[in-house]
Amino acid sequence: MINIKSTLTYKTLAIFGHGLKDFLVTLGNVGKDFSHVAYYILRLRINLKATLEQSSRFAVDSLPITLTIVSMTSIIIAMQIAPELAKQGAEGYIGMLSALVMVRELACIMAGFAIISMIGSSFASELASMAVGEQISAMKSLKVDPIEYLVVPRFLAGVIMMPFVFILASFAGLICAGIISKVTANLSLLNYVNSLWQGLYVRDILIAMLKASFFGGTISLISCSCGYSTRGGAKEVGIATTRAVVWSFLAIAIWDYIFAAIFYL
Amino acid sequence: MSIQVKNLIKCFDDKIVLDNLTFNVSDGETLGVVGFSGSGKSTLLKIISKLLYADEGTIETTKGSDVAMTFQYSALFDFLDVYHNIAFPLLERKEFRGRYTKDEIKQIVKEKLALVGLEGIEEKFPSELSGGMQKRVGFARAIVTNPKTILYDEPTAGLDPVSSTLIEDYIVRLKNELNAACIVVTHQMSTIKRACDNVILLYEGKIVFKGSTQEFLQGNNPYTRQFITASLDGPMEIKSAI
Repeated sequence: MINIKSTLTYKTLAIFGHGLKDFLVTLGNVGKDFSHVAYYILRLRINLKATLEQSSRFAVDSLPITLTIVSMTSIIIAMQIAPELAKQGAEGYIGMLSALVMVRELACIMAGFAIISMIGSSFASELASMAVGEQISAMKSLKVDPIEYLVVPRFLAGVIMMPFVFILASFAGLICAGIISKVTANLSLLNYVNSLWQGLYVRDILIAMLKASFFGGTISLISCSCGYSTRGGAKEVGIATTRAVVWSFLAIAIWDYIFAAIFYL
Repeated sequence: MSIQVKNLIKCFDDKIVLDNLTFNVSDGETLGVVGFSGSGKSTLLKIISKLLYADEGTIETTKGSDVAMTFQYSALFDFLDVYHNIAFPLLERKEFRGRYTKDEIKQIVKEKLALVGLEGIEEKFPSELSGGMQKRVGFARAIVTNPKTILYDEPTAGLDPVSSTLIEDYIVRLKNELNAACIVVTHQMSTIKRACDNVILLYEGKIVFKGSTQEFLQGNNPYTRQFITASLDGPMEIKSAI
């Protein structure tokens, strides 16, 4: 008699089932935690000192890696596109295209990825360690809500600081693209800047800043929520961190699609 | 009556962890709770301190006073120094914010540290302290709001016998200073002997013994005899507890 549990179909369905359950549990936890965070923010119960500390950590600490990743991506794209456009006699479009790509898409999404890897994972592992070490229970027993003390400042740090990270990342990316265009396509920096203005719109910048804010809040919330809901031991801390990174990647990809569909479709 | 537990029932999924528990602890009394691992002792403390909800039953504690809890591994906030760990509820709890000046908080922290025999360690971080010192800082943090109910979850776990004796002495001292009702979950006989007035023994979620420490140690109840002599033979089956 065939053991149904040993069949490939069963195993495949089990993997999907497990993934779906994990997704629904994470979604539920994030939704619940967001409602608590919103409750405290609407009542202006905000720990300013903790918010400042987390903002500094979110933006300043992550800046070197964020700028490096965005700059490198910008350099690689410019290296491939600038010579081709110059060959076609379209060097006047290099700056414009760089601005469009950088502001509308690249700076925000690449900064998001860098921040998930560096800050999101650290939020998740920090809160998960606190949860398994009973520090969160201790906080509750002292009648201090961990959501108010730990999650609200991190969420606000993400929402407030991510647009600034985006601005700096865009700036760094555009400078790198200009330098590479000069080197590979012999495009003068003056021509590059003139072309760049044609692709730079205030509307695009504002939309991208709003998107960055959503990205920041989402990364912080998912990371904190995955960490906060951890039970067990060291193994579960690792699982929570992985879960936070995976779901944050997916969430900002979905936000990116929603923003593109709403504003550019 | 400082702690009054009536018909308490708690289940996890289909498993009954606490089955119809009823007991009282008076002010100035320490109740020891013993039992095999997994018999529901820590769950009982978490329900009394409102970290978990009971499925049925009622718990009453002294009105207008905190229920303090100390944890098995201290659960000190490792990102804060000793001063900020102890002052944490005074600085962060909504009803205490702004009630005390900085100097008053400093004085309170100093007093609580003196009460657990630790002075001048305000600037140290938990990672710089020994296990016993961490436990005592945990005690100081728990009593900073002068609670009338104190719950100790395995206060001597992982400590050497001398440090355990010191901790047991502080449990007695804090009870006397605050006239608090205390519950101590422990596996250690010395803690029962030195720190507890009464004892309950839990087995499969039920109270199988309730009485004074002397009755627990010297009585003929088959459950307590088996527990004290650490025997595999007796009414309690070890398999069901592990």
